Amino acid sequence: MANSYLTSESKKLATWYFTVAATLFGAQLLFGLVAAIQYVIPGFLFEILDFSVARMLHINALVVWMVFAMFGAVYWLLPDETGIETVGIEVGKLLFWVFTAAVTVVVLVYLFIQVGPADATSIWFIHEGREYIEAPRWADIGITVVALGFVANLFMTGMKGNRSGIVTVLMADMIAFAGLYLTGMFYTDNITVDQFWWWWVIHLWVEATWEVYVGAIAAYGLITMIGAHRKVVEMWLWIEVTMLFGSGILGMGHHYFWIGTPEYWWEIGALFSALEPLPLVAMFIHVLYDWGKMQGEESAKGLDRSVITNKPAFTWFVLNAFGNFLGAGIWGFFHTLPQVNLYTHGTQFTSAHGHLAFFGAYATILIGMMYIAVQGKNGIKILNNSTSTIFATSMIVGGVVGMTVALTVAGYSDVIISRAQMGATWAGYFDAQATTWLTQGMVWRLIMGVITFVGFFFLAKDLLTIGKSNIHVR
Amino acid sequence: MNAMFEPFVDVVPSFFGTLSQGPLTLTIFLHTVIILPMFWIYKQEKARLEQEGN
Amino acid sequence: MAKKSVWSDNRFWQRTAAWITGFASVLLIWLTFDTSAQISMGNDSDLKSGVTKRVPGPTVINYKITYEMNKKRQHEIPVIGGMNAEGTSAFQEKEKFFGRDDWSEEEATELLHLGKLGSQVKNCMNCHTLLGNGAYYAPDLTKAWLDPAWGPTGPMQALTGKSTKEEAMAEFLQNPSQYPTHARMMPNLGITAEEAKGLVAFLKHMSSIDTNGFPRNFGKIQGAVNGK
Repeated sequence: MANSYLTSESKKLATWYFTVAATLFGAQLLFGLVAAIQYVIPGFLFEILDFSVARMLHINALVVWMVFAMFGAVYWLLPDETGIETVGIEVGKLLFWVFTAAVTVVVLVYLFIQVGPADATSIWFIHEGREYIEAPRWADIGITVVALGFVANLFMTGMKGNRSGIVTVLMADMIAFAGLYLTGMFYTDNITVDQFWWWWVIHLWVEATWEVYVGAIAAYGLITMIGAHRKVVEMWLWIEVTMLFGSGILGMGHHYFWIGTPEYWWEIGALFSALEPLPLVAMFIHVLYDWGKMQGEESAKGLDRSVITNKPAFTWFVLNAFGNFLGAGIWGFFHTLPQVNLYTHGTQFTSAHGHLAFFGAYATILIGMMYIAVQGKNGIKILNNSTSTIFATSMIVGGVVGMTVALTVAGYSDVIISRAQMGATWAGYFDAQATTWLTQGMVWRLIMGVITFVGFFFLAKDLLTIGKSNIHVR
Repeated sequence: MNAMFEPFVDVVPSFFGTLSQGPLTLTIFLHTVIILPMFWIYKQEKARLEQEGN
Repeated sequence: MAKKSVWSDNRFWQRTAAWITGFASVLLIWLTFDTSAQISMGNDSDLKSGVTKRVPGPTVINYKITYEMNKKRQHEIPVIGGMNAEGTSAFQEKEKFFGRDDWSEEEATELLHLGKLGSQVKNCMNCHTLLGNGAYYAPDLTKAWLDPAWGPTGPMQALTGKSTKEEAMAEFLQNPSQYPTHARMMPNLGITAEEAKGLVAFLKHMSSIDTNGFPRNFGKIQGAVNGK
């Protein structure tokens, strides 16, 4: 690119990944909006773009944009951490184009073919119909190849260059991340076995490997943005890995309460997953503590200036610390115990948790990484907030928190009427859907969704233009 | 004493099902075996740090 | 000389992280073997010889299935072929499924395969929940087979003009937007007669899976406590 300050090919590739990620983030919000409208106006796009299709696009775009941004963030930090150019960068670039092309084809097929006959061809070429990992089998294989290529680059670079604690954690984490995807690729007639392995991908991604990934990225961010001491940051990172994997791996049990799996999972799932918020508290304390400490060191020198070299990114990192704890931790703990989950399993409550957790734990920090890339690309010493930054951040955060509250309120009637009182029948389900709490909750969710969507345009505008602004220190 | 141990209730007996003998027995057992070796790691590291400190 | 604390030592935490991650993974793999053995699908001879499986064989579609409170386990369990003295499945009472109660293992397996495949291809999970997992735009299907709405006293048989549960369900699945039950309708997904049969077999089979009492109280209460 012209007038780019980037000399590292790895960082250039990172900006490509971030660009596609941000675009898919927009697509995620767009299709989420369609689904949200359908809750309020059921006839909207009926038999044109049905809820099932809109939601599939909504959640797949979510997973894919996050994976894109995660790959991008690793390509961004590798030269800084290892001190060398990423090994195999040309392969990395090729895989980026393969990945982007595959995702485009998959999205077009979802949109325009939508559904096929009940045979294996549909599984291979349309979609697999398994929430979050719907991608058809040919794309599964493609994604595996791309992911393994990415992991290979990470390993070769980590082994050749300086292997910091952050890189070590990322290496171990990303190989698990790629390997776990394989457990979600086979077909079985046994729905219990199907869901058992399906959770190996979903849970061990979002409640184990992705969280550890976030820990590593947060560590990198603290070192680059406020100059936190590496030794302290990496000690925290190891503590986080201990707690995240210690609770998260067996915490998987909370998905095995009701799918046909043995009763002993009640106990395992209950106590291990109940501990899952602990590392998130640790991460929250760690980020804020380090910030205070570094600022204090600055003040002790008698310097009256902020230690933060990238205001928008640091805002998103702090939002991550808080959002991860609130969305994944608190909203998750709400319904992780089997005696509660018996009623909340598969209700709008889950949806409320899903929204705040994915956003708080992952979207925030990945958006933060995009701002770090903007800073690096434009050769800025201190990146300040623009008006668009303020609008984007407050509208997106306010919108998602608003959606979460609305869905939680809607979840109350779902849980109490449909599950607790009516025993989850067809009639019970629709009785709950007709309650004021649920119908109004859905209207509020839509309003908040629109606010989030508008906020996205501010974000896109900001990411594209903030680098050229003259409010920064260059 | 009888009230302390619950009869096996799951469909099929299994190792983990057998450890699950009422409130939290299984999960406390698993937590314990996970945590205990930390003492050993702690002692080793303490010895190492003391040696380095000399 | 100030002594360095082990608690703030990177190597201690690195080793702890490695140990805990490794051991938790080993436990998970061990548990997976244990669970896999328990959730493997049964077969016809299990049903005939009265062996209770968490996931019964496909020929369970030949039997009557109910969902009853079990005293020993203190939650509801699927009861197949009537209840015995212990309150569990007696595997005796048959029930016709599309006019037959002698579906062979091969036929039933094929039907279930078509249904399970259909449930994925038709994307059921992105509106409904199956075993409680999926989307929340439409009712949970875990025990849909046992839903009173489709039974002799429910509205769905009259609505679709069919006299059995399975025929009513199959008819609805083929032409869902002809039988609106709510403003929020199921779209036409091009489900053929054979696919519909498979899907109903899949639903009946799913209702026979032991889900540790989820959903609680299914179909026991008619008429909501007014929450509006």
